[in-house]
This record gives sequence, C-alpha cells and structure tokens, in this order.
Amino acid sequence: MELLTAIAIGTMFAVGVFQLLRRNVIRSAIGLLILANAVNLFLLSTGASVGMEPPYVSDISGLMSDALPQALILTAIVISMGGTAFVLSMLYIIAARYKTSDSDEVDGLKH
Amino acid sequence: MLYKHLPLMPILLPLTGAMIAVLLRRNYRLQTGVALASMVISLLSSGWLLVVVWRGGGPLVFQSGGWTAPFGITLVADLLAAVFVVMSQLVLCTGVLYAMGSKDSVVRYPTFYPLYLSLATSLTGAMLTGDLFNLFVFAELLVISGTVLTALSDDRHGTEAAYKYYYMSMLASFFMLLAIGCLYVSYGTLNMADLAQRIAGDSGRSLLLPGIGFLMATFMAKSAVFPFHFWQPDFHTAAPTAVSAMLSSVVVKLGVYGFLRMTTLLFLPQAETIRFLLVGLGIIGVILGGLSAVGTLNAKRMLAYSTLAQVGFIMVGIGWGTPMAITAAIVFAFNHSLIKAAMLMLAGYVASRAPVKSADFEVVSGVGREAHGAGVLFFLGSMALAGIPPTNGFISKMILFSSGIDAAGFSSLLLIGLGSVFTLVYTMRGFQRIWWQGPPAGGEVKAKGDQLLAPVLLIGLVLLLGLWAEPLVQIAQDTGLWLTSPMGYIQAVLGG
Repeated sequence: MELLTAIAIGTMFAVGVFQLLRRNVIRSAIGLLILANAVNLFLLSTGASVGMEPPYVSDISGLMSDALPQALILTAIVISMGGTAFVLSMLYIIAARYKTSDSDEVDGLKH
Repeated sequence: MLYKHLPLMPILLPLTGAMIAVLLRRNYRLQTGVALASMVISLLSSGWLLVVVWRGGGPLVFQSGGWTAPFGITLVADLLAAVFVVMSQLVLCTGVLYAMGSKDSVVRYPTFYPLYLSLATSLTGAMLTGDLFNLFVFAELLVISGTVLTALSDDRHGTEAAYKYYYMSMLASFFMLLAIGCLYVSYGTLNMADLAQRIAGDSGRSLLLPGIGFLMATFMAKSAVFPFHFWQPDFHTAAPTAVSAMLSSVVVKLGVYGFLRMTTLLFLPQAETIRFLLVGLGIIGVILGGLSAVGTLNAKRMLAYSTLAQVGFIMVGIGWGTPMAITAAIVFAFNHSLIKAAMLMLAGYVASRAPVKSADFEVVSGVGREAHGAGVLFFLGSMALAGIPPTNGFISKMILFSSGIDAAGFSSLLLIGLGSVFTLVYTMRGFQRIWWQGPPAGGEVKAKGDQLLAPVLLIGLVLLLGLWAEPLVQIAQDTGLWLTSPMGYIQAVLGG
C-alpha cells in the first residue's frame, strides 16, 4: 500500500511538473493544480499508514489515525482553490491584453 | 501576566483595519483615515511590544485559545521577531502616507487599502508565529495580497509581473508544504520550539535533510536569493510605487527572518552547512545584483536589482554566523528597509512627474531639474545605499565588514567589498541621468507629482540612525546574544 501510494504521488508530481513547464498558459495552470494535489497527497501519506481507527471517538480498539495532516490538507486545499481561481482570472486578463496563450509571448517587461 | 495579549496586537490591528476598510469602500477619505490610523496604532503597539520584550529579558509568548504549547498555535515575540515587526510596521506606515499622496489610480480602488492592510497583517503574523504551518498560512496571505496589489497596477504589464511572481510563490509554497510534511513525519510536531528541541535530540532522521532543503528553497524564493531571484526585478518594477516600496524593502525580509530562525533555532546540528551555502549564495547575489543594476535601463528596475545585492550582503552576514555578524545582518536588514523604501518612493515620484508615467531612464532623464528637494533626498539615499557617512548605510556596512574580519572570512569579504563598489556606480549613474541631464525631448515635465512626505520621513530616519546609531546597534547586539542561546526561546514556549 505504501509503495502504491508513493508511486502514485511520484507520478502526479512528474505529470504536474511536466504540465507546469508547458508554454500554453492554461496547460501550465492545470499543471499547478495537479502539483497542488500531489503535495496534498504527500501530506496525507505522512499520517495515513499508521493507525486505522478514527480519533476522537469514545471506544477505540487499536492505533488511532493521525488527524492533523488532514486538517493541514484542508487548509492547503482551500488556499490552492482560491489561488487557482485567481490564476485563471489573471490568465483571462493576460489573454485579453497580450492576445496570446503562449507564455513566451507574454514578455512586455523584458528589457 | 499583564502583557499576555501584546504579541497579538500587531497582527489584529491591521486585520481589523482591513475589515473596517472593506465596509467603508464607498467612502474613500474615511477608508484612508482608517488605514492610516490602524497602521499608526499598530506601529505604536509593536514599538511597545519591542520595549516590553527588551526590558523583560525574555520572549513574550501567547498561546492562542489557551492550548498549551506543542498542541495549539503559539505566537512568540522574542527580540528578533519584535525588531523585524517594528521595522515592517514602520515602513508600512510610510507606505500608507505615500499612497495617500500618490497620483496613481490604483490607490483610488476601494480594494487597495484592505489589501494593503492584509499585507501588513500577514507580514507581521509570519514573523510573530511560532508554528511552521501557521507561517505557511501567513506567507500565503502575503503572496495573495502582494500579487493582487501588483496585478491592479497602473502599469500595463502589472498583470504579467503578478502572474510570474504568483507561479514562483505557488512553487515556494509547495516547497514549504513538502518541508512541513517531511518534518512532521520525522518529528511529529510543527511547533518551532518543540521541533528545535527534537531535532537537537535526534538529527539522524532520513527525511530531515530534504525538509531543510525544501525550507531553504522556500525562504530563498521569498527573499529572491540567487537561483530564485528572476521574478523579483519584473515584480518590483511593475508594482504601484507605494506597494513596490514595501515589497522590495520589508517583504523580502521575511526570507531573511526565516534564515535567521533556521540557523539559530530550528536546525542547529545542520547550521554550519546552511551557513556555508548562504555565504556562497550571498556573494553570488551581491555580484550579480550589482552588475545587473549597473546594466539596467529603468530606475525602479535598478533599485530592484540593488535589493538582490543588498539581500546578498545580509545573507553573507547570516552565513558568517558569529554573534557580531548576526548583529550586523539585523542592523543591515533594518537600515536597508528604510533606505530602499525611500529610494523606490523617490523613483516613483520622478516617474509620476515624467511626461509619460514610466521609470525608464529614457523617459525620466532630466525630469529632476525642477525637483531640487527630491534630488537632495535621492542623493542622501544613494549615499546610504553605497554606505557613505553620515547615513545609516555606513553603520550597517561598517559593522558587517568588521564582523567579517573577526570571523576571518577574508575571501568572501574581498568579494562583497568588490560588489559594494557597484552600488556607488549605479546609484550615481541614476542620479546623474535624472538630475544632471537636460530636460526630456518629448513633452513637458508635469508640475505636480506624488507627495514627498513619506520619503522625507524615511530619509530623516536614515540620517538619524546614521548619526545616532547606538540604540539600534544595542538592540541588534542583544538580539544576537539571545539568538546564541535558543534554550531561552524553547523554555519560554514549552514552559519549564
């Protein structure tokens, strides 16, 4: 199970980095989203494999699972959702101003 | 505990101000008043905090919600945090003053002051928090407010700069989350004091080194240290003047603060390696920033590259790592914030009087002919940046170089000495282009620009801290002493 999780997270990182480096701005925004989810899964895996019983209940038999990584992920998900919405709105303005979706042509500040 | 809630004040006051300012979005004058009042009160409260912490001789700790230390979120105001908070609030106050007198249309947007105040909240919060994940949350708030303020800029390319910065910061925050994951899985805590204690006890965990690497990458991206610096000149050039003066002076100091915490509290067993890296990266920053600033064609961009060089000096100071060098790094960081904010405001003032609103040397050369007062201020600021008495830049460079002699880092000393010559070259070149050349060819110089009150105050402080440097140096020395004994911090947080 641990190996499977590790391979899945690694694949998501690879796909995310590859997409992030694409020239198309929308594709790279999607890459950012995939990368955010890969990081969240990594955080989940820090507390997932030890203890399967839910914490904060009255009768616990066995090892409790750790609830903190899930709280951290919840925060990170909310932040990345706001961030993605903001990136997409910025891309909308960039597409209107520069008339392109190619990030190499968004170079008005080059001196 | 009379002062129990004091560390909360510099965070809560700007946050309250931001909320009230959102409610007052239809009344511009009232909104400005609220913004200025909340920043001034928050500056006073952080000054009070500094005095209480300094006199009290130990960190002030606030356990939010009454949860004891490793379980709840802790706010810790030790001397380092208090000094950095006072520095940030001071410069942020003058930023509000500059925005009030600015002719940019961005300061008239109803969302400008709320975002500005949330920038202040997050910067203060990130410096006062004693919990790594809380630091991440505040850093995210800082990134979002800074990016939105830049994307709103009058400059057509503001959105592009904001886009570049935002991608870079998202990557930095992924690095930070990875670091948090690595450290949490190894040590089972995110409280900085608890973490420091556990790492000192057992530094052999296999995920510790990746965690340190990710955290270093985060702070390098936050303060635009060499391999992660490329977003910075674009971002600081395109931001509205009032905002870019903050971004290039106090916001980059978050990374400096982070490195000080990493080398003196969190990762003591690995501190030597981190310091060695910081000296190298700092030297590269000093040389690269100086050369780029000499070669650039835009006044604001020149100052942005200069920030790269000056942060390099601070990194070298942290890297030497002796108490004297850490004192020098803190004094340098404090003084650089004041100088760089003033210089960027003056560059923005010149740009606001130019025929076309731009800080390109082609446009602004000769604009200063009718602005003698601004010329004197810019000249004093240039002297401070280059480290010539009687300005505070001289004090910071003198302490830094003498600490380098004590630490026997002669080769690095030689290289940053060489790098500091560039400072004189580019500031004087900028001064000549703007104040000594003939008036611009295309169009008239505008009769009125932005108000000069904020840069006057800042340059006044620059001179004051150059002539009467003892209090600041004394506080920085005490901070260096506190940082050499992290047990004080750990005991204050964890108790017992």
